[in-house]
Amino acid sequence: MQHRHLPDLSPDADGLAPQAAALDVKDLRVSFGAGPAIVDGVDITLQRGRILCLVGESGSGKSLTALSLMRLLPPSAQLACTRFDLLGEDIAGAGEDALNAIRGNRMAMVFQEPMTALNPVMTVGDQVTEALVVHQGLSKQAARAAALDMFRRVQIPAPETRLKAYPHQLSGGMRQRVMIAMALMCRPAILIADEPTTALDVTIQSQILRLIDQLRAELGTAVLFITHNLAVVAEIADEIAVMYAGRIVERASRADLFGDPQHPYTLALFAAMPRADERGRPLAAIEGQVPSPGAMPAGCRFAPRCPFVVAHCETTYPPLREISRDHWIACWRAPLEEHVS
Amino acid sequence: MSALLEVAHLSKTFVSGGGLFRAAKSARVVTDVSFSLQRGDVFALVGESGSGKTTIGRMLLRLIEPDAGHITFDGIDVRSLPPVELRRLRRRVQIIFQDPFGSLDPRVRIGAAIAEPIRLHQLRPANQIADRVAELLTLVGLDASYANRFPHEFSGGQRQRVAIARALAVEPDLIVCDEPVSALDLSIQAQVVNLLGELRATLGVSYVFISHDMAVVRHLATHVGVLYAGRLVESGPSETIFADPRHPYTRMLLAATPSPVPGAMRSRETITGEPPSPYAEWAQCRFASRCEHRIDACLAADPPLAAVAPAPRLSACIRAAELPDFAAFDDGESRMTAAYRLRLDLLRRARLPKVSHV
Repeated sequence: MQHRHLPDLSPDADGLAPQAAALDVKDLRVSFGAGPAIVDGVDITLQRGRILCLVGESGSGKSLTALSLMRLLPPSAQLACTRFDLLGEDIAGAGEDALNAIRGNRMAMVFQEPMTALNPVMTVGDQVTEALVVHQGLSKQAARAAALDMFRRVQIPAPETRLKAYPHQLSGGMRQRVMIAMALMCRPAILIADEPTTALDVTIQSQILRLIDQLRAELGTAVLFITHNLAVVAEIADEIAVMYAGRIVERASRADLFGDPQHPYTLALFAAMPRADERGRPLAAIEGQVPSPGAMPAGCRFAPRCPFVVAHCETTYPPLREISRDHWIACWRAPLEEHVS
Repeated sequence: MSALLEVAHLSKTFVSGGGLFRAAKSARVVTDVSFSLQRGDVFALVGESGSGKTTIGRMLLRLIEPDAGHITFDGIDVRSLPPVELRRLRRRVQIIFQDPFGSLDPRVRIGAAIAEPIRLHQLRPANQIADRVAELLTLVGLDASYANRFPHEFSGGQRQRVAIARALAVEPDLIVCDEPVSALDLSIQAQVVNLLGELRATLGVSYVFISHDMAVVRHLATHVGVLYAGRLVESGPSETIFADPRHPYTRMLLAATPSPVPGAMRSRETITGEPPSPYAEWAQCRFASRCEHRIDACLAADPPLAAVAPAPRLSACIRAAELPDFAAFDDGESRMTAAYRLRLDLLRRARLPKVSHV
């Protein structure tokens, strides 16, 4: 009975139709001033208790996508979309007050560097309980009990002591656990994790991934996990979207993406990783760079770096099409074996 | 053949705090570390944050002064060098850092940044320096015209190339690479890894390669030293370490390494805990608290490095020889699905330079 004061977010508990996605955003576009769209027509659907991974290199627009979903864009940015539904409810036109009630409560975010996201002069206990006091009107005492419980869930050793610690007294891995605990305090429907393990050691990364995996199962949270490293998500992703220069170029279940990768960019990402049988051989680096927003190619944005490019690719952007069931790809040349001799 | 670099019993303790009412705390960050490197070899130092790998890298150039131990570079006793001689040594031993932006002056054009060590060490007559800078930029895969640009005009990968060009400017025998690719995107990481490999093959330069990424280490290193809490817990030739690791910590690092081939995934249930505090005093195996193979004897003493076949491998685990067989970290093509393999092969062939048939 320890969670009686917390809303139950298990599927169906809140009376919504069970099939309503946790978050459903269509044709998301973000631009600055009169400039081109940096995020250009991205669809994101997060299902309860499932993990969608968004993969792409620096400059692909993945972090900007995350900030748009949280509605945390700077004032200079323009956001447009044709749908923005949170738990089946349209919040596209929600004002700042409504969004403040949602952020940290229904949607929460974890960042790459927990040290900069935590307040250095407040104990982590005070920071973690703040959301419960603000959003759910809990007494300090009740909030503290809930925080202690959440610290145990995210496997922070000696949680009573750690509640009184300041961020600098914790290791990087511990700080990230605190961030995750803080994000989950109000049992949000949605957790957005932007490169949460990139700054951590591999051993700690592995533990944090397992933790996120456990918590989404336990709490029914929908997770958007953002990373530049495809391999990192090989274990926990239900679905993977590969992003390049502001657009999604391939989207598939984990099994399909790792078993039947289609897009030349996805293949290039795989090929660039050092594997056992590549020892001593040059790695297949992707030459060139992500195009800058001011100089987007007219056709397929990957065309300048793509070894399979033909004239059509350079003039016309390939739309996302379903190449097999629930496997979407934006490439004129797929499947490659049918088009490349 | 005598070693290019010989490190023996290197130790470092940092003392912090201490005052009127407070005792000073000592952090033993490096304890009794020994290894050697032959000319042309790549010795990788791997371990988690706080394992002491960066401190060792800096001690090799005496950017941090060791408390004890010997460093011999090409027969020269590095620790006893007077300042003038030390400068001469630093012409032969260079270092590149994880964050190339932090090591380049934002107000200095990169051509001037690369020219500076050439001028300082009088490696070229003044009228040939510009040509040499252009040559170095080309060598690291940058356009020679970039010499006029400032650091902020470069991407992360390009900045790391600039840092490498500057390190190469003095024609060093050894480069200490401190996490040179950790801050880079995967695609760019591959470019820099390839560049380091090429430079080794063409210029014969050796590396001490500091990294926490076992996949990159496997790719580049000829020898590996695994550090835990300031001590080497396993060392040996790269093939030996990756095929048959004989320290539970090496195995944990390998199991935690992400792979692009999911079939190669292993159970990660045993990956637990965090590195210990450097302030701890050790009368037991440092890794015992996280070790799935721990027995009572592990708590009795901190085990020394000892030979475990095949030679010349060392492990600091009293159960090294009796650890179960280790399923090698195999993420080769044989583990891929047919479609994955087929398309990767298409990609590889498409990337080959086009040969025109007349």
